Amino acid sequence: MKSSIFLNNVLLMLMWVILTGDSTFANFTFGFLLSFVILRIITVNREDTKYFRLVPRVIAFILFFIYELVLANLQAAYFVIVSHKNLKPGIVGVPLDAKSDIEITFLTNLVSLTPGTLSIDVSNDRKVLYVYSMHIKDRDQFVKNIKNGFEKRILNITR
Amino acid sequence: MTLNFYLTYILLPILIISVILIFIRFLKGPSIADRVIAIDLMVTCSIGIIAFVSIISHQPTFLDITMIIALIGFLSIVAFSYYLEKRNKND
Amino acid sequence: MIDIIIGFLATIGVMFIFLAAVGFIRMPDTYLRMCVTTKASTLGSGLILLSAAVFFGENGVISRVIAIILFLFLTVPVGAHLIARVSYFIGVQLWKGTIMDELKGKYDKQSHELHSERELKK
Repeated sequence: MKSSIFLNNVLLMLMWVILTGDSTFANFTFGFLLSFVILRIITVNREDTKYFRLVPRVIAFILFFIYELVLANLQAAYFVIVSHKNLKPGIVGVPLDAKSDIEITFLTNLVSLTPGTLSIDVSNDRKVLYVYSMHIKDRDQFVKNIKNGFEKRILNITR
Repeated sequence: MTLNFYLTYILLPILIISVILIFIRFLKGPSIADRVIAIDLMVTCSIGIIAFVSIISHQPTFLDITMIIALIGFLSIVAFSYYLEKRNKND
Repeated sequence: MIDIIIGFLATIGVMFIFLAAVGFIRMPDTYLRMCVTTKASTLGSGLILLSAAVFFGENGVISRVIAIILFLFLTVPVGAHLIARVSYFIGVQLWKGTIMDELKGKYDKQSHELHSERELKK
């Protein structure tokens, strides 16, 4: 049901672009947002409204990810330029709540993309993700950060 | 100071210096994993260099080469790690 | 005006790549090097490609650049994961300042299977 609303959204966006005859990137975005609002207004079925909560969450997730990326890059820059003598690296096993393939793939990719952490491997029964981190102040705090930050948001989107 | 001047004489040399630094690590690298990462980083640097060249010479076609080089870099990483793991298994 | 935006994006991208190269020289062991370099260089080349997209400003170029950036962001973590895994297998030593290693002893040397903690207790 979710995907059919998404298809309707894309179709309406293409309609808008063809009718206005202006195929720039800004016009595509505007058409998408316009058809999103129109679909939100005309949908009355209770089950279908899940899609409309999904899109703002995806946008919020992308913004959060960019913020995290820049912050972590600056931290890595500090360690590279100043000194690496007081680093405390280590490998931590983080228990996983994500079950399906796509959730685990997203989680490991995002953990790898933020500098300072690197996902090494997932255990064969998919219960533990082993993360290498550049700087661990407190093990429990570190595990909690990953679980509450990335994993919770990914599960919010996919479930 | 025009954009072309800035890109050609300030930013491009910095990129080339960083390629040289990576190459020093490629020669020194204690383990073979370091050398593989050095290849990956050089591919990423070359993507930046090609993008600069395409800006300087007004040729958007060069960006296609970027895509192909990124693909080849990823394939080489996968192949290297596959054979390293196999070699370790047979010992 | 548009020149300033292009110059700004390109400068930040080059700074990130240069930082990755310096970190690659200075860091003491393989895993730390991997941590610092892979992502900083990805972000840097992504920003440089974005500046190229702003410079040309055509639809074809922008869509191509977005495709390349998405491709980089998908493949670079996979490559880093493969190399990290293999370097743990072939016995690359961790730095002497490492404070914990929970992966130790979890790999099966023969079949290359990775056990979680629950399986070890049985």
